[in-house]
Amino acid sequence: MESAKSVMEPIAWIFQMLTGLVMILLITLHFYVTHMTSHEALKYAEVVSRVAQPEFKAMYAALLLIVSFHAFNGLRAILLDTNAGMRGRKTVNALTTLAFLLAFVYGLYLLFSI
Amino acid sequence: MVEFKIRRYDGEKSYWQSFEVPAKRGMTVLEALYYIKENYDSSLAFRASCRMGICGSCAMKINDKPRLACETQVLTLGNTVKVEPLDNFKVIKDLITEFDGFFEKLKAVKPHLIRKDDNYAEPKELLQTPEELNEYYVFTLCIKCGACYSVCPAAATLDEYLGPAAMTAAYRFCADSRDEGQKERYEIASSPNGVWRCHLAMECSEVCPKNVEPAKAVQLLRRKTAFSMLKSLLGW
Repeated sequence: MESAKSVMEPIAWIFQMLTGLVMILLITLHFYVTHMTSHEALKYAEVVSRVAQPEFKAMYAALLLIVSFHAFNGLRAILLDTNAGMRGRKTVNALTTLAFLLAFVYGLYLLFSI
Repeated sequence: MVEFKIRRYDGEKSYWQSFEVPAKRGMTVLEALYYIKENYDSSLAFRASCRMGICGSCAMKINDKPRLACETQVLTLGNTVKVEPLDNFKVIKDLITEFDGFFEKLKAVKPHLIRKDDNYAEPKELLQTPEELNEYYVFTLCIKCGACYSVCPAAATLDEYLGPAAMTAAYRFCADSRDEGQKERYEIASSPNGVWRCHLAMECSEVCPKNVEPAKAVQLLRRKTAFSMLKSLLGW
């Protein structure tokens, strides 16, 4: 039986819960802004001008960070739930971390190139 | 007459076999299996010991749900009773499954009191208040029948997963005020095959014949493990 102390698992679990909670707030805010404030809110020009504002940029950067983490950490947990995933645990951890970083950096690039 | 459809396994192939059993009020599935063994087929293999829901030997899948055969009344099950070995265990013969791995996992979590002042030559009384006992009492009722493990989706996909019974045992001792081995057990529970793999499907609590609530124990252990690891990282 493997009983090696793992620091990554408890940290990943705590952050998965925290990002889930923050996501509820930020996605609610996102839906409120895009669907409840005006009928024009989803037009291209409106979206571009809104995202150009520093407070929205910061909010979407935060949302991008937590969604990317939550998604790829969730994928990591699903893969580790299988015998094959657990056999290649280090590879699964490395690939999902890399995918998280790539998604976040690429998203930031798109966000700041608007 | 009640028809018993039993999933048999002879070491090479698995097949269904039906038997007619004259069921009467008060008859348990275990008694029906003994009736079949004594009157139709003496090669039918199943485990049983205490016949009173204490040893956990006769856990099997009855009408698609893991139950103790000795505590399940035949007449509550309808005219056809389907009996199968527990899922998530390797079948040895008919209704007998391999429990070595299950008990290895139990052993791995050190399911016993760990004390720094263990002295068998001069044992001392360890006092406990009723409130302290209530913290873990329900989890002491586990009879290690394996019903929880057989329905656990995490155990189905990951062979090395500790499973609900082992983690319930770990939590039972971690919550015991007399125990001093929490840190050791949190490290075991925190391994990649430990508490993090639970999906919270809660089927283990649903099928537990003793209402032990293994799912609750796993969640409590998960919380304690996470905060213990966090504290040790932060040096608190």
